[in-house]
Amino acid sequence: MNLDHVFKKTAKEMYHTGINPSVPDDLLCKCKKCGGIVLIDDVRSSGYICPKCGGYFRMSAYERIKRVADEGTFLEWDRNLVGTDPLQFEGYEAKLAATRLRTHMKEAVITGRCRIGGRQTVLCVMDGRFFMASMGEAVGEKITRAVERATKLKLPVIIFVCSGGARMQEGMLSLMQMAKTSAAIKRHSEAGLLYISVLTDPTTGGVMASFAMLGDIILAEPGALAGFAGQRVIEQTIHQKLPKGFQRAEFLQEHGFVDRIVKREEMKQVLTDLLLLHHAGEENIQENCLGFKAKSNELANSNLNDSRKELIQQGETRADQKKETACKAQKLFHTKSAWERVQLAREQGRSISSDYIKELFPLFYELHGDRAGTDDPAVIAGIAMFQNEPVTIIAQEKGKNTKEQIAHNFGMCQPGGYRKVKRLLAEAEKFKRPVVCFVDTPGAYCGIEAEEQGQGEAIATSISDMSALSVPVLSIIIGEGGSGGALALATANEVWMLENAMYSILSPEGFASILWKDSHRAKEAAACMKLTAEDLLKLGVIEKVFAEEEKLPAGLPKLTAEISKEIGSFLQKYERIKPEQVKEMRYERFRKMGKLQL
Amino acid sequence: MIRKLLVANRGEIAVRIIRACREMGIETVAVYSEADREALHAKLADEAVCIGPASLSDSYLSMERIISATIVTGAQAIHPGFGFLSENAKFASLCEKCNIIFIGPKAEIIERLGNKQLARETMQKAGVPVIPGSDRAVFDYRDGLHEAEKIGYPIMIKAALGGGGKGMRLSGSKEDFEKNFRIAQAEAKQCFGDDAMYLEHYIKGPRHVEFQILADSYGNVVHLGERDCSIQRKHQKLIEEAPCCALSPKQRMKMGQTAVRAAKAAGYINAGTIEFLLEPSGAFYFMEMNTRIQVEHPITEWITGIDLIKEQIRIAAGEKLTFSQNDIRISGHAIEMRINAEKPEEEFRPCPGTITGLHLPGGKGIRIDSAIYSGYRVPPFYDSMIAKISVWAKTREEAIRKARSALGEVIIEGVDTNVDYQYGILEEPDYQNGNVDINYIENHF
Repeated sequence: MNLDHVFKKTAKEMYHTGINPSVPDDLLCKCKKCGGIVLIDDVRSSGYICPKCGGYFRMSAYERIKRVADEGTFLEWDRNLVGTDPLQFEGYEAKLAATRLRTHMKEAVITGRCRIGGRQTVLCVMDGRFFMASMGEAVGEKITRAVERATKLKLPVIIFVCSGGARMQEGMLSLMQMAKTSAAIKRHSEAGLLYISVLTDPTTGGVMASFAMLGDIILAEPGALAGFAGQRVIEQTIHQKLPKGFQRAEFLQEHGFVDRIVKREEMKQVLTDLLLLHHAGEENIQENCLGFKAKSNELANSNLNDSRKELIQQGETRADQKKETACKAQKLFHTKSAWERVQLAREQGRSISSDYIKELFPLFYELHGDRAGTDDPAVIAGIAMFQNEPVTIIAQEKGKNTKEQIAHNFGMCQPGGYRKVKRLLAEAEKFKRPVVCFVDTPGAYCGIEAEEQGQGEAIATSISDMSALSVPVLSIIIGEGGSGGALALATANEVWMLENAMYSILSPEGFASILWKDSHRAKEAAACMKLTAEDLLKLGVIEKVFAEEEKLPAGLPKLTAEISKEIGSFLQKYERIKPEQVKEMRYERFRKMGKLQL
Repeated sequence: MIRKLLVANRGEIAVRIIRACREMGIETVAVYSEADREALHAKLADEAVCIGPASLSDSYLSMERIISATIVTGAQAIHPGFGFLSENAKFASLCEKCNIIFIGPKAEIIERLGNKQLARETMQKAGVPVIPGSDRAVFDYRDGLHEAEKIGYPIMIKAALGGGGKGMRLSGSKEDFEKNFRIAQAEAKQCFGDDAMYLEHYIKGPRHVEFQILADSYGNVVHLGERDCSIQRKHQKLIEEAPCCALSPKQRMKMGQTAVRAAKAAGYINAGTIEFLLEPSGAFYFMEMNTRIQVEHPITEWITGIDLIKEQIRIAAGEKLTFSQNDIRISGHAIEMRINAEKPEEEFRPCPGTITGLHLPGGKGIRIDSAIYSGYRVPPFYDSMIAKISVWAKTREEAIRKARSALGEVIIEGVDTNVDYQYGILEEPDYQNGNVDINYIENHF
C-alpha cells in the first residue's frame, strides 16, 4: 500500500505562543575526526574524547595537568613571564593581549613541579589555544628555566608537547629558542636525569626539531600529528599526495621515533610506571622511596602465581643440593647429537624471548625504535623490574607461528635492530641499569637493503658499544645464536646457554656450503663445528649451561625459576664491583679468547 | 498553545501522538530512521525528517540529531512517547537549554525518580509505604549478605539504575545469594554501566497495580484510577486492565490518595504513573514512578474519558487542569492486549517481516492503536509490539468476552504474532475469575 501524500495535513489553529527554540553556542561541537556533532558536556566529561568515534579533542594545559598530576600537587613556575616584541611586529601585541584574555594564560606553556604517582617531577604542558603553542622567547625561556631547575633539583622532566613550531612574530629569536631548550635538556641528560616527552596533536616545526624529539622516552597520543615540515609544504614541494596516516603518531612509531602510543586514560599510569622504572623523582622523598620498594615487591609477588613461587622455592632447594648446574647438565650432554640439538634449537613452538620475559619480569615496558628511521620487530627491548631493580632487556624475537614469525622476520635483525640495541645500551649506561640480553637468531638479516643501511657497521657498533658499558651485561642464548648477529647481543660479562641452544660462527648449512660446497651436509657440519652448549662451555666461550629437563615450552616455568635465581646471583655479584672494573672484566673475558703465545 | 510539535518516537505511540496533535490543531513533525522510511508515523505527520541509519544510537537515541531536527523544522516542543529518550534526564535538560518544550517532567525530576534509591527516599519521606530494603547502594556481595539478613529473605537484587527486568535476580536464601548477586551485578554493569545494586524484600504473589496521575504546573494533582498489569512475562506486560478487580472503592481511594501524595512529594508535573505491589492482604508498597506516558494508557482513557496525550500537551504548554479529583468518574471496565510480532512457541523470538494481509476488529468499545498496514514491512531493529487492542464494557466479564471476540477477529498475515497466546490467557479460568498475580504467566503457561 503506498501511503505517500495520501493523508490530510493538520488544520492549523491560529493562536500560539512565541517560543523560538535555538541551540545555545556552548552546547554542541563538531568532532574533527568523525565529523559528528557531539555535546560539549559529554566531551568534557569523557576527558576530551569524542563519545562517538573515540577521536581526541585538543585539551587545555590546565585540564591536562589536572589529569596527570596528583591532586593539589602542581606548583606553577614563572606564571607571569612574558616575552618582548622583538620585531615590533604590527598587531602582535594586540593579538597577544586578546589571546591572553581568551585563554587566561600569559604564554603558550605552563611549567612547574608536581607529583605523579607520588613521585616528584617537573612538568611542562603546552597549550594549543595560545598562538598554536608556537615557541617564542617566553616559551623557550620558561621551558629552559624549568629544565635547569630540574637539573638542579635532580628531578625528571615531563613535557607534553604541542606546537605549530617557532613563533613567526618573534623572528630569529624564536629560532634561537630551539638551541637554548635543546642545550638545557642536554645538560639535564648529562646529569643522568630522565626526560619524557609526550607528543600531542599537533607537534611540528622548530619544536619537533628540538626538545620534542630529545626525550629519553618519547610517548605520543593516538593519532597525534607530529612532524617537522607541514604536510601542505611537503606536498607543494614534491608535487605528490601524501599517504594516509603520514606524520601521525603511529607512523612515527613505525619509523622508530616513538616508544609507545598511550591513550589518555592510561597516561597517568604509564608516567607513574616509567618514573618508577627509573627510580626518578625519589631523591628528596624518603617515604616515597620506601613506598616504591613496597610497591614493586607487591608487584613482583602479585604477578607470580602460587605454583610459580613453589617452583622457585623448589629450584632454590634443588640448587642447594646440587651446587653445579653445569655439572648436572653435563650428564645429559651425551644423549643427543649436535644435529639433534640444532633441530631442537630451531623447533617451531620452542619458547621464545617474549615467553622468558613474561616469566622472569613481572613489569616490562617495551620501548620502540632506533630514533633513526626504523623500529625493527626482530628486536624487542625495554625496561623491566627484576627484584625491585630496573634492568634493560634486549631480546631477539622469533615469533611463535608463521604469522608472527613473518612479523618478527624470524628473529633476523636489520641494521635498525642493532641501532635500537645501541640506543638502549646508551640509556642503560645513562641510568646505570644492568643489561640482560636474550639471544635467539639464525643470524643478522641478509639482503640488499640491509647492506645499503650498513649491516656490518650496525653490528660492529653494537659489539663495540656493549664492550664499553660500565654496567654489567648478561646474555642468555635460548635458541639459535647465529654468528655476528648473535654476538652483537652477546659481548657480555657472562654468556649462558640452554642445553639445547646453539651458538656458532655460521649456520651448519652455511658452513657446509662454504667449506664443502654442499649445504646438504649440514648434519655433518654440525657435528664438527662445536656449536653445542657442552662444547662451548669446554672452549670457555660461555660460562653456564641450563639443563632442559623437560621439553620446552612445558618445562619453561621450571627453567625460568632456575634462571631467575641465577640472574639474581649475577646481579648481586656485579653490584659489588666498581663500574670501571665491570668494563675491565668484560674486556679481559674476550681478550683471553685465543690469547696465543709465540 | 504550541504551534508545532516534534514526535521523537516511532510506531503506534508516534501515530497516537500525531493524531492527538492533529485534533488540537498542532502541526506535527515526525522523525524516522532509514529503516522506517515507510513507517506510518512518517507518512502521517505534516513533516518528516530522516535522522539517521537504523541503529538506535544513530537515530531515535541520538539527542543531537533530534534537537537539530527540531530546530530546523521550527518545532517548539518534543513529545518523547515512551522508551527511547522519554525518561532521559539529559535529553530533557538539553531541550530546556535549547528553549524547547519537553512534554514530560523537568529534567531533575526525571533524574531523581529514575534513580531507585533517591525515589525510594523521596517516597519514604512523604509517608508512602516502600518495600523493606537496603537504604544505600550495595557494591559488594558481602555487604549485600549482611543487608539481606536485616531485610529478610526472599530478597530481590536489583540494579540501582535498572528497569525492564535487566540486572534483577531473586535470591531465596543466603546460600544462593552470592551467585545471584554476581549475575545481577554483571548484567547491571553491562546494561547500565553502573554496578550499584539495591536489595529489597521480595513479596510473594503480589499484583502489579499502578495509578495514573496528572499534575499541572499550578500544584494540582489528580489520579485517574489504577491499572492492573499483573499479566506479565519476564517483566514485560502482556494484558492490562482497569480498574483492578481486587480493589474495594475504599482501598482505591486510599491508594489513589497515596499516589497523589507521592507525586506531590516528588514535585511532579505532567502525566506519570506510580507503580505499587499489592499484597493479597491488601498491603501495598511503592515500586517506582514512571515519568512518561505508558503503553497501557488507553485503558485509563477508556474508564475516565480523558485523553492523556492531549492533557500532557496542555500541561506542558502551561495550562491548568480543567478538572479536579471530584470530577473524575471511573466507569466500566477496560482491557488492553499487546500484539507482538513474535513466535511464542520459539521462546517469543521476534518475527519481523512484511504484513501481507491484515484485518483488525472494530465496533463499539473496541480501540486499535497500531502503526501497521497492509504491505508494511516490520523492521527487525526495534521493539516487536505492532498493535494494541483495547476494549471497554460495563463489567469485567463483558469486557473479557469483548476482548476474546475482538482477538478472534484479528488476521495478520506475513508475520507470526502472539494473538493466539493472548487468546489462551483470556480463556483461562483463573484469569477469568481474577485470580492473578505477577507470577500468573509463569505458573499457568
